[in-house]
Amino acid sequence: MQILHVENLRKSFDGQTILSNVSLEISKGEVIAVIGPSGSGKSTLLRCLTLLERIDQGKITVEGDVMVDSPNGHPRYAPEETLRKIRLKLGMVFQNFNLFPHFSVLQNITEAPVHVAGVPYEVAKANALELLEKIGLSDKADAYPYQLSGGQSQRVAIARALAMKPDVLFFDEPTSALDPELTGEVLKVIRALAAEHMTMMVVTHEMAFARDVADRVIFMDNGQIIETGTPDQIFLNPTNERTKTFLQRFSENG
Amino acid sequence: MEWTNLIKLLNLLCSGALTSIQLFCYTLLFSLPLGLAVALGRMSKRPYIRGPIKFYILIMRGTPLLLQIIFVYFAPSFMMPEGFRINLDRFVAAVIAFSLNYAAYFAEIYRGGIESIPQGQYEAAAVLGFTKSQTFFRIILPQVIKRILPPISNEVITLVKDTALIQVLGISELFRVAKNESSRLFSTLPLFVAGLFYLAMNWVVTRVFHLAEKKLSYYK
Repeated sequence: MQILHVENLRKSFDGQTILSNVSLEISKGEVIAVIGPSGSGKSTLLRCLTLLERIDQGKITVEGDVMVDSPNGHPRYAPEETLRKIRLKLGMVFQNFNLFPHFSVLQNITEAPVHVAGVPYEVAKANALELLEKIGLSDKADAYPYQLSGGQSQRVAIARALAMKPDVLFFDEPTSALDPELTGEVLKVIRALAAEHMTMMVVTHEMAFARDVADRVIFMDNGQIIETGTPDQIFLNPTNERTKTFLQRFSENG
Repeated sequence: MEWTNLIKLLNLLCSGALTSIQLFCYTLLFSLPLGLAVALGRMSKRPYIRGPIKFYILIMRGTPLLLQIIFVYFAPSFMMPEGFRINLDRFVAAVIAFSLNYAAYFAEIYRGGIESIPQGQYEAAAVLGFTKSQTFFRIILPQVIKRILPPISNEVITLVKDTALIQVLGISELFRVAKNESSRLFSTLPLFVAGLFYLAMNWVVTRVFHLAEKKLSYYK
Protein backbone atom coordinates (compact mmCIF):
# COMPACT_ATOMS: atom_id res chain seq x y z
CA MET A 1 0.00 0.00 0.00
CA GLN A 2 1.29 3.40 -0.92
CA ILE A 3 1.48 5.86 1.95
CA LEU A 4 3.08 8.82 0.33
CA HIS A 5 3.36 9.91 -3.26
CA VAL A 6 5.38 12.85 -4.51
CA GLU A 7 5.36 14.11 -8.09
CA ASN A 8 7.68 16.66 -9.64
CA LEU A 9 8.23 18.63 -6.47
CA ARG A 10 9.97 21.95 -6.88
CA LYS A 11 11.03 24.31 -4.13
CA SER A 12 13.16 27.42 -4.17
CA PHE A 13 14.19 30.01 -1.62
CA ASP A 14 14.68 33.58 -2.83
CA GLY A 15 14.90 32.48 -6.43
CA GLN A 16 17.47 29.80 -5.67
CA THR A 17 16.24 26.34 -6.58
CA ILE A 18 16.62 23.91 -3.68
CA LEU A 19 14.59 21.02 -5.02
CA SER A 20 13.57 20.26 -8.56
CA ASN A 21 11.83 17.38 -10.23
CA VAL A 22 11.68 15.30 -7.08
CA SER A 23 9.35 12.35 -7.41
CA LEU A 24 9.14 9.43 -5.04
CA GLU A 25 6.74 7.17 -3.25
CA ILE A 26 6.81 5.44 0.10
CA SER A 27 5.05 2.14 0.62
CA LYS A 28 3.75 0.87 3.90
CA GLY A 29 6.44 -0.71 6.07
CA GLU A 30 9.26 0.60 3.93
CA VAL A 31 12.41 2.13 5.38
CA ILE A 32 14.00 4.69 3.09
CA ALA A 33 17.38 6.26 3.71
CA VAL A 34 18.11 9.56 2.02
CA ILE A 35 21.80 10.27 1.58
CA GLY A 36 23.77 12.95 -0.19
CA PRO A 37 26.15 15.83 0.39
CA SER A 38 25.24 18.78 2.62
CA GLY A 39 23.06 21.30 0.88
CA SER A 40 21.66 18.73 -1.53
CA GLY A 41 18.09 19.42 -0.38
CA LYS A 42 17.52 16.32 1.77
CA SER A 43 16.29 18.21 4.80
CA THR A 44 14.23 20.61 2.71
CA LEU A 45 12.53 17.62 1.09
CA LEU A 46 11.59 16.27 4.51
CA ARG A 47 10.36 19.67 5.61
CA CYS A 48 8.18 19.95 2.52
CA LEU A 49 6.69 16.52 3.12
CA THR A 50 5.88 17.38 6.75
CA LEU A 51 4.30 20.74 5.85
CA LEU A 52 7.03 22.77 7.55
CA GLU A 53 7.80 24.34 4.20
CA ARG A 54 5.44 25.09 1.34
CA ILE A 55 6.42 23.85 -2.09
CA ASP A 56 6.46 25.93 -5.28
CA GLN A 57 5.21 23.25 -7.59
CA GLY A 58 4.31 19.58 -7.64
CA LYS A 59 1.90 17.17 -6.09
CA ILE A 60 2.00 15.40 -2.74
CA THR A 61 -0.53 12.75 -1.79
CA VAL A 62 -0.75 11.09 1.62
CA GLU A 63 -2.80 7.91 1.76
CA GLY A 64 -5.04 9.10 -1.04
CA ASP A 65 -5.56 12.58 0.39
CA VAL A 66 -4.08 15.28 -1.78
CA MET A 67 -1.97 17.58 0.38
CA VAL A 68 -1.00 19.86 -2.46
CA ASP A 69 -1.37 19.91 -6.21
CA SER A 70 -0.34 22.38 -8.90
CA PRO A 71 -2.84 22.06 -11.72
CA ASN A 72 -1.63 25.19 -13.53
CA GLY A 73 1.89 25.48 -12.25
CA HIS A 74 1.00 27.06 -8.93
CA PRO A 75 0.71 25.11 -5.72
CA ARG A 76 -2.76 24.74 -4.28
CA TYR A 77 -2.83 23.29 -0.78
CA ALA A 78 -5.79 21.38 0.61
CA PRO A 79 -8.01 23.18 3.14
CA GLU A 80 -6.62 23.40 6.68
CA GLU A 81 -9.04 20.70 7.81
CA THR A 82 -7.52 18.17 5.40
CA LEU A 83 -4.01 19.31 6.23
CA ARG A 84 -4.71 18.71 9.92
CA LYS A 85 -5.84 15.20 9.14
CA ILE A 86 -2.72 14.63 7.01
CA ARG A 87 -0.40 16.07 9.66
CA LEU A 88 -1.61 13.49 12.18
CA LYS A 89 -0.36 10.75 9.88
CA LEU A 90 3.13 12.20 9.68
CA GLY A 91 5.69 12.16 12.46
CA MET A 92 9.00 13.98 12.53
CA VAL A 93 12.20 13.64 14.52
CA PHE A 94 14.54 16.61 14.32
CA GLN A 95 18.28 16.88 14.36
CA ASN A 96 18.16 19.03 17.49
CA PHE A 97 15.41 17.01 19.23
CA ASN A 98 13.27 20.11 19.93
CA LEU A 99 11.85 18.65 23.12
CA PHE A 100 9.67 21.01 25.15
CA PRO A 101 11.97 22.09 28.00
CA HIS A 102 9.18 23.07 30.40
CA PHE A 103 7.55 19.63 30.25
CA SER A 104 8.78 16.47 31.92
CA VAL A 105 9.68 13.57 29.67
CA LEU A 106 6.29 12.02 30.33
CA GLN A 107 4.43 15.22 29.51
CA ASN A 108 6.49 15.72 26.37
CA ILE A 109 5.10 12.40 25.19
CA THR A 110 1.50 12.73 26.43
CA GLU A 111 0.87 16.39 25.53
CA ALA A 112 0.01 15.91 21.86
CA PRO A 113 -2.06 12.72 22.25
CA VAL A 114 -4.14 14.40 24.97
CA HIS A 115 -4.51 17.88 23.51
CA VAL A 116 -4.36 17.17 19.78
CA ALA A 117 -5.73 13.66 19.38
CA GLY A 118 -8.09 13.84 22.37
CA VAL A 119 -6.88 10.63 24.00
CA PRO A 120 -7.86 10.37 27.70
CA TYR A 121 -4.89 11.23 29.90
CA GLU A 122 -4.71 7.82 31.59
CA VAL A 123 -4.58 6.05 28.24
CA ALA A 124 -1.95 8.46 26.91
CA LYS A 125 0.10 8.01 30.05
CA ALA A 126 -0.01 4.22 29.88
CA ASN A 127 1.01 4.38 26.24
CA ALA A 128 3.83 6.83 27.03
CA LEU A 129 5.20 4.58 29.78
CA GLU A 130 5.13 1.68 27.37
CA LEU A 131 7.08 3.71 24.81
CA LEU A 132 9.59 4.76 27.46
CA GLU A 133 10.17 1.15 28.33
CA LYS A 134 10.70 0.36 24.68
CA ILE A 135 13.39 3.03 24.33
CA GLY A 136 14.94 2.04 27.64
CA LEU A 137 14.16 5.21 29.55
CA SER A 138 11.48 4.12 32.02
CA ASP A 139 13.43 5.72 34.85
CA LYS A 140 13.39 9.12 33.13
CA ALA A 141 9.62 9.66 32.98
CA ASP A 142 9.76 12.48 35.52
CA ALA A 143 13.05 13.98 34.35
CA TYR A 144 13.21 17.25 32.43
CA PRO A 145 14.90 17.54 29.04
CA TYR A 146 17.87 19.48 30.45
CA GLN A 147 18.69 16.45 32.60
CA LEU A 148 19.01 14.14 29.59
CA SER A 149 22.01 13.37 27.41
CA GLY A 150 21.73 14.01 23.68
CA GLY A 151 21.06 10.36 22.95
CA GLN A 152 18.38 10.16 25.62
CA SER A 153 16.80 13.36 24.32
CA GLN A 154 16.61 11.99 20.83
CA ARG A 155 15.08 8.74 22.05
CA VAL A 156 12.43 10.72 23.93
CA ALA A 157 11.81 12.76 20.77
CA ILE A 158 11.24 9.51 18.90
CA ALA A 159 8.82 8.33 21.59
CA ARG A 160 7.02 11.66 21.43
CA ALA A 161 6.54 11.26 17.68
CA LEU A 162 5.47 7.60 18.04
CA ALA A 163 2.88 8.51 20.68
CA MET A 164 0.80 10.11 17.93
CA LYS A 165 0.85 6.75 16.09
CA PRO A 166 1.94 8.23 12.76
CA ASP A 167 1.72 6.18 9.58
CA VAL A 168 5.10 7.38 8.48
CA LEU A 169 7.94 8.75 10.55
CA PHE A 170 10.52 11.16 9.13
CA PHE A 171 13.98 11.58 10.63
CA ASP A 172 16.03 14.65 9.80
CA GLU A 173 19.63 13.67 10.51
CA PRO A 174 18.66 12.21 13.88
CA THR A 175 22.24 11.53 14.99
CA SER A 176 24.08 14.51 13.52
CA ALA A 177 23.99 16.46 16.80
CA LEU A 178 25.26 13.50 18.81
CA ASP A 179 28.67 12.26 19.90
CA PRO A 180 29.65 9.05 18.11
CA GLU A 181 29.16 7.09 21.32
CA LEU A 182 25.58 8.34 21.69
CA THR A 183 24.73 7.73 18.05
CA GLY A 184 24.50 4.00 18.59
CA GLU A 185 21.70 4.11 21.15
CA VAL A 186 19.53 6.20 18.83
CA LEU A 187 20.22 4.03 15.81
CA LYS A 188 19.35 1.00 17.88
CA VAL A 189 15.88 2.42 18.52
CA ILE A 190 15.40 3.16 14.82
CA ARG A 191 16.57 -0.36 13.95
CA ALA A 192 14.02 -1.78 16.38
CA LEU A 193 11.30 0.26 14.69
CA ALA A 194 12.43 -0.99 11.30
CA ALA A 195 12.13 -4.54 12.59
CA GLU A 196 8.52 -3.77 13.47
CA HIS A 197 7.97 -2.51 9.92
CA MET A 198 7.37 1.07 10.91
CA THR A 199 7.31 3.15 7.73
CA MET A 200 10.25 5.52 7.92
CA MET A 201 12.23 7.96 5.84
CA VAL A 202 15.59 8.79 7.33
CA VAL A 203 17.90 11.54 6.16
CA THR A 204 21.29 10.41 7.38
CA HIS A 205 25.03 10.61 7.04
CA GLU A 206 25.41 7.20 8.70
CA MET A 207 26.24 5.11 5.66
CA ALA A 208 26.59 1.85 7.53
CA PHE A 209 23.20 2.39 9.09
CA ALA A 210 21.63 3.21 5.72
CA ARG A 211 23.11 0.08 4.25
CA ASP A 212 21.95 -2.20 7.06
CA VAL A 213 18.50 -0.88 7.80
CA ALA A 214 17.07 0.71 4.67
CA ASP A 215 14.98 -1.17 2.15
CA ARG A 216 15.69 1.55 -0.35
CA VAL A 217 18.33 4.26 -0.56
CA ILE A 218 17.82 7.58 -2.27
CA PHE A 219 20.90 9.54 -3.26
CA MET A 220 20.34 13.27 -3.69
CA ASP A 221 22.58 15.96 -5.05
CA ASN A 222 21.89 19.55 -6.08
CA GLY A 223 18.22 19.33 -5.23
CA GLN A 224 17.56 16.29 -7.35
CA ILE A 225 17.20 12.59 -6.81
CA ILE A 226 20.18 11.20 -8.66
CA GLU A 227 19.78 7.54 -7.95
CA THR A 228 17.40 5.24 -6.13
CA GLY A 229 17.85 1.58 -5.36
CA THR A 230 18.35 -1.12 -2.81
CA PRO A 231 21.30 -0.59 -0.50
CA ASP A 232 23.27 -3.17 -2.44
CA GLN A 233 22.63 -1.40 -5.72
CA ILE A 234 23.58 2.01 -4.37
CA PHE A 235 26.53 1.04 -2.23
CA LEU A 236 28.01 -1.79 -4.28
CA ASN A 237 27.05 -0.92 -7.85
CA PRO A 238 26.20 2.76 -8.12
CA THR A 239 25.55 3.64 -11.74
CA ASN A 240 25.76 7.40 -11.55
CA GLU A 241 29.13 9.13 -11.49
CA ARG A 242 28.09 11.53 -8.74
CA THR A 243 26.90 8.73 -6.51
CA LYS A 244 30.21 6.98 -6.98
CA THR A 245 32.20 10.10 -6.15
CA PHE A 246 30.13 10.79 -3.07
CA LEU A 247 30.41 7.24 -1.71
CA GLN A 248 34.11 7.12 -2.49
CA ARG A 249 34.71 10.25 -0.48
CA PHE A 250 32.77 8.70 2.34
CA SER A 251 34.72 5.49 2.43
CA GLU A 252 37.98 7.43 2.28
CA ASN A 253 36.95 9.48 5.26
CA GLY A 254 36.05 6.38 7.16
CA MET B 1 7.32 64.51 67.72
CA GLU B 2 4.83 62.99 70.05
CA TRP B 3 3.63 59.45 69.73
CA THR B 4 0.06 60.42 68.89
CA ASN B 5 1.29 62.67 66.09
CA LEU B 6 3.49 59.94 64.73
CA ILE B 7 0.61 57.49 64.70
CA LYS B 8 -1.55 60.08 62.98
CA LEU B 9 1.15 60.58 60.36
CA LEU B 10 1.48 56.85 59.77
CA ASN B 11 -2.26 56.61 59.42
CA LEU B 12 -2.31 59.31 56.78
CA LEU B 13 0.61 57.79 54.92
CA CYS B 14 -1.11 54.40 55.00
CA SER B 15 -4.24 55.76 53.39
CA GLY B 16 -2.06 57.47 50.77
CA ALA B 17 -0.19 54.24 50.20
CA LEU B 18 -3.51 52.44 49.76
CA THR B 19 -4.34 54.72 46.83
CA SER B 20 -0.88 54.10 45.37
CA ILE B 21 -1.32 50.36 45.78
CA GLN B 22 -4.73 50.50 44.11
CA LEU B 23 -3.26 52.29 41.11
CA PHE B 24 -0.42 49.76 41.08
CA CYS B 25 -2.80 46.78 41.05
CA TYR B 26 -5.17 48.18 38.42
CA THR B 27 -2.24 49.10 36.20
CA LEU B 28 -0.83 45.58 36.32
CA LEU B 29 -4.27 44.05 35.87
CA PHE B 30 -4.81 45.93 32.60
CA SER B 31 -1.31 46.45 31.22
CA LEU B 32 0.00 42.89 31.53
CA PRO B 33 -2.64 41.37 29.18
CA LEU B 34 -2.82 44.51 27.03
CA GLY B 35 0.97 44.36 26.62
CA LEU B 36 0.66 40.83 25.24
CA ALA B 37 -1.87 41.97 22.66
CA VAL B 38 0.37 44.90 21.73
CA ALA B 39 3.37 42.58 21.43
CA LEU B 40 1.45 40.26 19.08
CA GLY B 41 0.37 43.28 17.04
CA ARG B 42 3.94 44.53 16.94
CA MET B 43 5.05 41.16 15.53
CA SER B 44 2.20 40.95 13.02
CA LYS B 45 3.13 40.29 9.40
CA ARG B 46 0.54 42.82 8.32
CA PRO B 47 2.03 46.30 8.02
CA TYR B 48 -1.29 48.06 8.70
CA ILE B 49 -1.35 46.43 12.13
CA ARG B 50 2.37 46.56 12.87
CA GLY B 51 2.77 50.19 11.77
CA PRO B 52 0.26 51.84 14.11
CA ILE B 53 1.43 49.63 16.98
CA LYS B 54 5.02 50.73 16.44
CA PHE B 55 3.84 54.34 16.48
CA TYR B 56 1.89 53.73 19.68
CA ILE B 57 4.95 52.22 21.39
CA LEU B 58 7.08 55.12 20.18
CA ILE B 59 4.69 57.69 21.69
CA MET B 60 4.27 55.82 24.98
CA ARG B 61 7.97 55.28 25.52
CA GLY B 62 9.05 58.51 23.92
CA THR B 63 7.07 61.04 25.96
CA PRO B 64 6.97 61.59 29.73
CA LEU B 65 4.43 59.53 31.62
CA LEU B 66 3.63 62.69 33.55
CA LEU B 67 2.54 64.36 30.31
CA GLN B 68 0.48 61.32 29.34
CA ILE B 69 -1.37 61.42 32.65
CA ILE B 70 -2.23 65.08 32.13
CA PHE B 71 -3.24 64.42 28.55
CA VAL B 72 -5.57 61.50 29.35
CA TYR B 73 -7.25 63.51 32.10
CA PHE B 74 -7.71 66.78 30.26
CA ALA B 75 -8.04 65.76 26.62
CA PRO B 76 -11.56 64.26 26.83
CA SER B 77 -12.97 67.45 28.32
CA PHE B 78 -10.86 70.09 26.59
CA MET B 79 -10.18 68.75 23.14
CA MET B 80 -13.59 67.32 22.35
CA PRO B 81 -16.27 69.45 20.67
CA GLU B 82 -19.18 70.78 22.74
CA GLY B 83 -21.59 67.98 23.63
CA PHE B 84 -18.95 65.27 23.49
CA ARG B 85 -16.98 66.43 26.49
CA ILE B 86 -16.37 63.80 29.09
CA ASN B 87 -15.20 64.49 32.57
CA LEU B 88 -13.07 61.54 33.51
CA ASP B 89 -12.67 60.63 37.13
CA ARG B 90 -9.10 61.53 38.13
CA PHE B 91 -8.26 58.07 39.34
CA VAL B 92 -9.77 56.43 36.26
CA ALA B 93 -7.72 58.76 34.06
CA ALA B 94 -4.61 57.80 36.01
CA VAL B 95 -5.32 54.07 35.58
CA ILE B 96 -5.88 54.52 31.83
CA ALA B 97 -2.68 56.52 31.35
CA PHE B 98 -0.60 54.09 33.41
CA SER B 99 -2.06 51.02 31.71
CA LEU B 100 -1.43 52.39 28.22
CA ASN B 101 2.09 53.42 29.14
CA TYR B 102 3.13 50.23 30.88
CA ALA B 103 1.52 48.05 28.20
CA ALA B 104 4.00 49.54 25.73
CA TYR B 105 6.97 48.63 27.91
CA PHE B 106 5.62 45.17 28.70
CA ALA B 107 4.93 44.62 25.00
CA GLU B 108 8.57 45.09 24.11
CA ILE B 109 9.61 42.74 26.91
CA TYR B 110 7.12 40.11 25.71
CA ARG B 111 8.35 40.54 22.16
CA GLY B 112 11.95 40.02 23.21
CA GLY B 113 10.91 36.89 25.09
CA ILE B 114 8.78 35.47 22.31
CA GLU B 115 11.46 36.07 19.69
CA SER B 116 14.05 34.34 21.85
CA ILE B 117 12.22 31.00 21.68
CA PRO B 118 13.92 28.78 19.09
CA GLN B 119 12.06 28.14 15.84
CA GLY B 120 12.38 24.41 16.54
CA GLN B 121 9.78 24.67 19.30
CA TYR B 122 7.20 25.94 16.80
CA GLU B 123 8.18 23.26 14.31
CA ALA B 124 8.00 20.43 16.83
CA ALA B 125 4.54 21.66 17.89
CA ALA B 126 3.42 21.99 14.26
CA VAL B 127 4.34 18.44 13.27
CA LEU B 128 2.63 17.11 16.39
CA GLY B 129 -0.55 18.79 15.19
CA PHE B 130 -0.91 21.57 17.75
CA THR B 131 -2.98 24.51 16.53
CA LYS B 132 -1.40 27.95 16.46
CA SER B 133 -3.11 29.04 19.66
CA GLN B 134 -2.30 25.78 21.46
CA THR B 135 1.31 26.19 20.40
CA PHE B 136 1.41 29.72 21.73
CA PHE B 137 -0.35 29.15 25.03
CA ARG B 138 0.92 25.66 25.90
CA ILE B 139 4.41 25.62 24.42
CA ILE B 140 5.70 29.14 23.80
CA LEU B 141 4.18 31.38 26.48
CA PRO B 142 5.21 29.29 29.51
CA GLN B 143 8.81 29.42 28.32
CA VAL B 144 8.53 33.13 27.58
CA ILE B 145 7.29 33.86 31.10
CA LYS B 146 10.33 32.22 32.63
CA ARG B 147 12.67 34.24 30.44
CA ILE B 148 11.00 37.62 30.94
CA LEU B 149 10.55 37.54 34.72
CA PRO B 150 13.73 39.57 35.43
CA PRO B 151 12.95 42.45 33.03
CA ILE B 152 9.28 42.42 34.08
CA SER B 153 10.30 42.73 37.73
CA ASN B 154 12.34 45.81 36.76
CA GLU B 155 9.26 47.46 35.29
CA VAL B 156 7.04 46.49 38.21
CA ILE B 157 9.50 48.01 40.67
CA THR B 158 9.56 51.18 38.61
CA LEU B 159 5.77 51.18 38.60
CA VAL B 160 5.66 51.25 42.41
CA LYS B 161 7.67 54.47 42.35
CA ASP B 162 5.93 55.93 39.29
CA THR B 163 2.59 55.94 41.13
CA ALA B 164 3.85 59.14 42.78
CA LEU B 165 3.27 60.90 39.44
CA ILE B 166 -0.51 61.01 39.80
CA GLN B 167 -0.20 63.75 42.39
CA VAL B 168 -0.19 66.01 39.32
CA LEU B 169 -3.94 65.34 39.16
CA GLY B 170 -4.33 66.22 42.82
CA ILE B 171 -4.84 62.62 43.92
CA SER B 172 -3.74 61.99 47.49
CA GLU B 173 -1.35 59.17 46.92
CA LEU B 174 1.54 58.36 49.23
CA PHE B 175 4.00 60.97 48.05
CA ARG B 176 1.53 63.85 47.93
CA VAL B 177 0.34 63.05 51.44
CA ALA B 178 3.93 62.97 52.68
CA LYS B 179 4.70 66.28 50.98
CA ASN B 180 1.64 67.95 52.52
CA GLU B 181 2.48 66.64 55.97
CA SER B 182 6.06 67.71 55.51
CA SER B 183 5.07 71.34 54.85
CA ARG B 184 2.42 71.31 57.55
CA LEU B 185 4.77 69.94 60.21
CA PHE B 186 7.77 71.78 58.84
CA SER B 187 9.74 68.51 58.95
CA THR B 188 11.33 66.17 56.42
CA LEU B 189 10.36 63.15 58.50
CA PRO B 190 7.12 62.41 56.57
CA LEU B 191 9.07 62.32 53.27
CA PHE B 192 11.63 60.02 54.81
CA VAL B 193 8.93 57.69 56.15
CA ALA B 194 7.24 57.71 52.73
CA GLY B 195 10.56 56.58 51.29
CA LEU B 196 10.51 53.65 53.70
CA PHE B 197 6.99 52.83 52.53
CA TYR B 198 8.12 52.64 48.90
CA LEU B 199 11.07 50.53 49.95
CA ALA B 200 8.82 48.14 51.87
CA MET B 201 6.45 47.80 48.92
CA ASN B 202 9.31 47.06 46.57
CA TRP B 203 10.75 44.57 49.01
CA VAL B 204 7.45 42.68 48.70
CA VAL B 205 7.58 42.95 44.89
CA THR B 206 11.15 41.67 44.89
CA ARG B 207 10.21 38.73 47.12
CA VAL B 208 7.27 37.81 44.90
CA PHE B 209 9.43 37.80 41.78
CA HIS B 210 12.13 35.88 43.54
CA LEU B 211 9.61 33.21 44.51
CA ALA B 212 8.20 33.11 40.99
CA GLU B 213 11.66 32.65 39.52
CA LYS B 214 12.37 29.91 42.00
CA LYS B 215 9.11 28.18 41.15
CA LEU B 216 10.04 28.19 37.46
CA SER B 217 13.60 27.03 38.06
CA TYR B 218 12.57 23.38 37.76
CA TYR B 219 13.64 23.44 34.11
CA LYS B 220 16.28 25.13 32.03
